[in-house]
Amino acid sequence: MLTAENRARWRLAGLLSPATLIIGLFFVVPLAIMALYSLLEPGMYGGVEWTFYPDNFGRILGWADGSNEEFDVVYLQILLRSFKLAAITVLLTLLVCYPAAFWVSRQPERLRNFCLFLITLPFFTSLIVRLYAWVLILRPTGFLNASLQGLGLIDAPLDLIYTEGAVLLGMTYIFVPFMFLPIYASVEKLDRRLLEASADLGAGRWQSFWRVIFPLTLPGIAAGSIIVFIPSLGNFIVPSLLGGARVLMIGNLVEQQFLAARNWPFGAALAMLIMAAVLLFLLLYVRWQGRAALKEAAR
Amino acid sequence: MPAPYHRNALRHLARGALAVSALLASAAGQAAEELHLYNWGDYINPQVLSRFTEQTGIKVSLDTYGSNEEMLAKLQAGASGYDIVFPSVHMQDSMAALGLLEKTSIDRSPAFANIDPSFLRAKSDPKGEYCMPYAWGTVGIFYNKTKVSKPIESWADFFAEAKAGKKVIMLDDMRETLGVGLIVNGKSVDSTDLADIKQAESWLLERKPLVSAFTYESVPMVQSGDVAAAHYFVGAMMYVKQDPEHLAYVIPKEGATLYQEDMCVLKSAPNKANAKRFMEFFLQPEIAALNTEQQMNGTPNKEALKLLPAELRDNPEVNPGPEVMAKLQIFHDLGKDLKKYDRAWTRVRTAN
Repeated sequence: MLTAENRARWRLAGLLSPATLIIGLFFVVPLAIMALYSLLEPGMYGGVEWTFYPDNFGRILGWADGSNEEFDVVYLQILLRSFKLAAITVLLTLLVCYPAAFWVSRQPERLRNFCLFLITLPFFTSLIVRLYAWVLILRPTGFLNASLQGLGLIDAPLDLIYTEGAVLLGMTYIFVPFMFLPIYASVEKLDRRLLEASADLGAGRWQSFWRVIFPLTLPGIAAGSIIVFIPSLGNFIVPSLLGGARVLMIGNLVEQQFLAARNWPFGAALAMLIMAAVLLFLLLYVRWQGRAALKEAAR
Repeated sequence: MPAPYHRNALRHLARGALAVSALLASAAGQAAEELHLYNWGDYINPQVLSRFTEQTGIKVSLDTYGSNEEMLAKLQAGASGYDIVFPSVHMQDSMAALGLLEKTSIDRSPAFANIDPSFLRAKSDPKGEYCMPYAWGTVGIFYNKTKVSKPIESWADFFAEAKAGKKVIMLDDMRETLGVGLIVNGKSVDSTDLADIKQAESWLLERKPLVSAFTYESVPMVQSGDVAAAHYFVGAMMYVKQDPEHLAYVIPKEGATLYQEDMCVLKSAPNKANAKRFMEFFLQPEIAALNTEQQMNGTPNKEALKLLPAELRDNPEVNPGPEVMAKLQIFHDLGKDLKKYDRAWTRVRTAN
């Protein structure tokens, strides 16, 4: 006989199972395969040999003694460089989006909706096509150099493509919408009366910004930063197309392992490390949010 | 090997559209005889396929890949339904070791005599019982004549232009680009000696500041003159033919790598008889010539070579004489030693 409590429990399990199944199938199972592969020996023609092989991680982190694999500091350098690029991308998109979000939020409704539409417009075309458009703009005979030369502002074409600047431009361009939307959400919610109150209480512009506006929009900034940081860490299309692939990013390295080097386990180990790093960041964010919520509740 | 296809954005879209239409076509005519090819992008003349369908009534579908490894990885991951694939010689050997290829006995076909036996390069198939040599070419230098001070003849010229401030680019390809470092130092591109690979690595590292980019997107950059010269495939001849005044392709004096793809039937092929028919169809000199004329590369078919227009047949950059041929090297599978190249390439790509 089912008691009422038991029945409720079964119903809950029934309702949760589709979601659990989807997460299990599309997230946990592939992740488990990758975790397993990262600890196996690479097969001769791709694939794996079913022997335990800790040297994939050892090659990156230092305990490979050279008998099978050899430690090379180069992998940590690549990881660090990818982190740096992701961090700079976050800063640049933030710099663009924060003031823009304030401006948009003050426009009349129709213009505001139009602006939001414009921000999401790039999603309608393929990323690679949009980046290739940047190649056409930035190359020596491209649109930008031709225009500047036509206006008589420069004599010889500027070196724009295949530079670090081009990579940063491309990264910022791609990730602006991801940063803008969460910031906009928190800016729009901002109660203007709080600003009047802070002015009434004698706060200057800076003081109002740092003590009222900034803390209230911080959740949007944090969410935007995470949404931008994670995909930019693995991005290698921008450094390849606009940077000329002169420097290797962690994403390129993973691709190289799975294809040209035919070393699936090492590729899996690298991917696991990136994932661990991202998880660490997410964990910090969740804890920070939890603490903020506690503080809120204590008030 | 032809230029990897998946890196080219616009073609990528076109390929998507093609795949969709092929899908629709196959859904429409289930009962008809079929043949499914899996080839490098842009690596077969579409007229060859339409002529085959006209003559035999067999519907042909074509899917494409960008590298040997991509093709193998897809097949290993369980992609089925393909009849014919076009691996490079070293990949054919790997696939034979993995038991993926079907014995076709194509060597018993009378027209197999058209094939120059020196192209039976696969160690796993010295007689051509499995696969049939399909096409070959070189990897050299594609350049814009208006952007260089004198015609480029060698890797030394290539880097001299770069030193003079011209933009040059190389392939984003582990073995090809390290291969240049091995060739200029007089080593084998299959060397597994760490000292040789190290030497190639430091040779490349010294020149890395001169290289603007490592990429496959070279053709439009050279055509527009944005880049003076590029490390590229002989397939660039297709573009040289359209604009011979500005463009040129050259096999560098120091030597170059040679690639060759063979036409193979998969063990898992659903239409083996049709696949064999296609191979026999392609052995005909007129058909092989029709393909080579459009592809602007080399053919292993002796009789087809005779049918080619003189400007292609006698072009020393496409069909070089014996002393240049002797300087060309083909890649072999390195097995576990591939690791050494992977490490060297990672270090080259990480240096600033």
